[in-house]
Amino acid sequence: MKVKFFGNIRDITRIKEIQIKGAANVGQLLRELCDEYGKAFRDKVFRGNEITGEVIILVNGRNVYFTGGIDTALNKDDEVSIFPIVAGG
Amino acid sequence: MFGWTGTVLRVNLSDGTIKKEAINTKDASSYIGARGLATKIMMNEVDPKVDPLSPENKLIFMTGPLTGTFAPTSGRYVVVSKAPLTGTIGSSNSGGHFGPELKFAGYDGIIFEGKSEKPVYLWIHDDLVELRSAEHLWGKNVFETTDEILKETADDARVACIGPAGEKMVLFATVMNDKHRAAGRSGMGTVMGSKNLKAVAVKGSKSVEVARTDDFLAACRDARKKLKEHPVTGNGLPTYGTEILINVVNQVGALPTRNWRDGGVYEYAEDISGETLREKYLVRNKACFGCPIGCGRVTRVPEGRFKGFGEGPEYEPGWAYGASCGVRDLAAICKANFICNELGLDPITMGTTIACAMELYEKGIISREIAGMDLRFGNADAIVELTRLTGMREGFGERLAMGSYRMAESFGHPELSMSVKKQEMPAYDGRGAQGMGLEYATSNRGGCHVRGYMTSPEILGIPEKLDPLVTTDKAAWLKTFQDLTAVVDSAGICLFTTFAIGLPEISSMLRDAVGFDASNEEILKAGERIWNLERLFNIAAGFTSEDDTLPPRLLKEPMPSGPAKGKVVELEKMLPEYYSVRGWNEEGIPTEEKLAELSI
Repeated sequence: MKVKFFGNIRDITRIKEIQIKGAANVGQLLRELCDEYGKAFRDKVFRGNEITGEVIILVNGRNVYFTGGIDTALNKDDEVSIFPIVAGG
Repeated sequence: MFGWTGTVLRVNLSDGTIKKEAINTKDASSYIGARGLATKIMMNEVDPKVDPLSPENKLIFMTGPLTGTFAPTSGRYVVVSKAPLTGTIGSSNSGGHFGPELKFAGYDGIIFEGKSEKPVYLWIHDDLVELRSAEHLWGKNVFETTDEILKETADDARVACIGPAGEKMVLFATVMNDKHRAAGRSGMGTVMGSKNLKAVAVKGSKSVEVARTDDFLAACRDARKKLKEHPVTGNGLPTYGTEILINVVNQVGALPTRNWRDGGVYEYAEDISGETLREKYLVRNKACFGCPIGCGRVTRVPEGRFKGFGEGPEYEPGWAYGASCGVRDLAAICKANFICNELGLDPITMGTTIACAMELYEKGIISREIAGMDLRFGNADAIVELTRLTGMREGFGERLAMGSYRMAESFGHPELSMSVKKQEMPAYDGRGAQGMGLEYATSNRGGCHVRGYMTSPEILGIPEKLDPLVTTDKAAWLKTFQDLTAVVDSAGICLFTTFAIGLPEISSMLRDAVGFDASNEEILKAGERIWNLERLFNIAAGFTSEDDTLPPRLLKEPMPSGPAKGKVVELEKMLPEYYSVRGWNEEGIPTEEKLAELSI
């Protein structure tokens, strides 16, 4: 699946997107990404085993908050987007 | 008085008289200030059926009790009048330094009446207040006008003025202050131009007194700390500005593309995003008076045919000229936005009016001969050239100067104007964010996102996450957001504070600045009072529930792709619920009981 990074998440990952194979759900995917990008990434996305309030995680454009959180299932053709919480107007 | 200076200027432009009047303390208390108080003055003094561009309309500059104080983001003032673009109450606020300077000179606001025979500007230096000739400034752009007036008055004065667009009655002209900040929407600059008022310049040497100094400073420090610590106001907005929203709104499928025809996913969003702006053109960020956030963008396009220097674009202009026009060249978008500031144009209405013309062109309704150029979606040169032509009211710009509704109507297709009450909707597709759809339909100044910013809970998850694709509870949430926003706008601080602080913090600052003891609930009730008064103005102007609607595209054409695929705005479900939670009857008119409850 394709994982896209935005805003200051890119300052941590240093790339805009990456292909990941095999993650069955959002929690598993995030743990793999933590292994790849280290503590700064982990601090941004996880507080304990829960997703922090500092990121917006979308699977195919839907916030995972509405689809099961870290248990949201993933398929190989899914697109995952990870944003810091941002705002504007 | 505390929070207030206690004095309002009344300037009759027809006979040149200037009076200093005591502020109406009862109205100031009931309607908080700025947006609320100026609307109350409009209701008291102006027939809502007035022709907006006639001398009988009034133009009010008003600050709030927090403007110019230590409260964070206290640089705001508002311009209120009957709006020429919509025919509704018009009310546009702006940051920068002009509002605080007006209070430092000793005035809470200015009421302009009548029409000057010749172009003039108002010069205020503490107790000295005089009208001066502006004949030599007529025709000059915003930057030239500002520089010239500073030379004639004082280097450190603050100037609010119009550009050529306001002089030439472009229906969406802005009032520009501090060169780059805009009271932007619904044509407040057009009203100013109709009165032959080119500018207001002010320099003050006083300060704003507050009632309970120690408590007020403690409340301000608490608010400032929260703004600094919040990831949005402490990091996201200073780093990326509002343009950061382009990618996130696109990913959720709500970024209106090619005049909203192609749905909410723009394939070139990354090219016009806040991340790309930061990488390619950002010079530094910039803050308004007393602002710890600093979301402003100072930008430079260093070379090429779109070379230029200025501020912005914000998210809305970035979208209006970008996704909405199918343009992916960020340099052209920056340039078009610079020209809007220079000529005094609202870039949301400008960009979306060009987008509407592009759709009419692609449908064969506008010919190349009429447009004077290739007007297909994606033409970067066209957005720059048409902005200039519209601001100067030349060529095809003459047609665009009416805004998209009147322009599309003149070609027999008003349904292709993506507007509500003739004002263009901004950058969130209500099919992908149902609450925003309801907000557009019910906003008291027509298509507008900053009267009840449902994007915050629906897309950004602040203060709570609401599913954008469902209608449940949206009416009640929207009412609260609209009422709270009326409080914020009337207090004299920036709406962006509400990403980090809420009613308790804002109420604390208001109480300690003014020295009253209203509860948080009573202050929110004042916001509801303001909302209902604006509604009453519009009803008296001739608006009905039939005007609380959306373009047919949002109600009938299902979203063609993306996460919201298949959705329309379910307005028929949400609107009756909204009227009900507002305490209005089925025709959308506030009931006697509601008006009694609000003491209107």
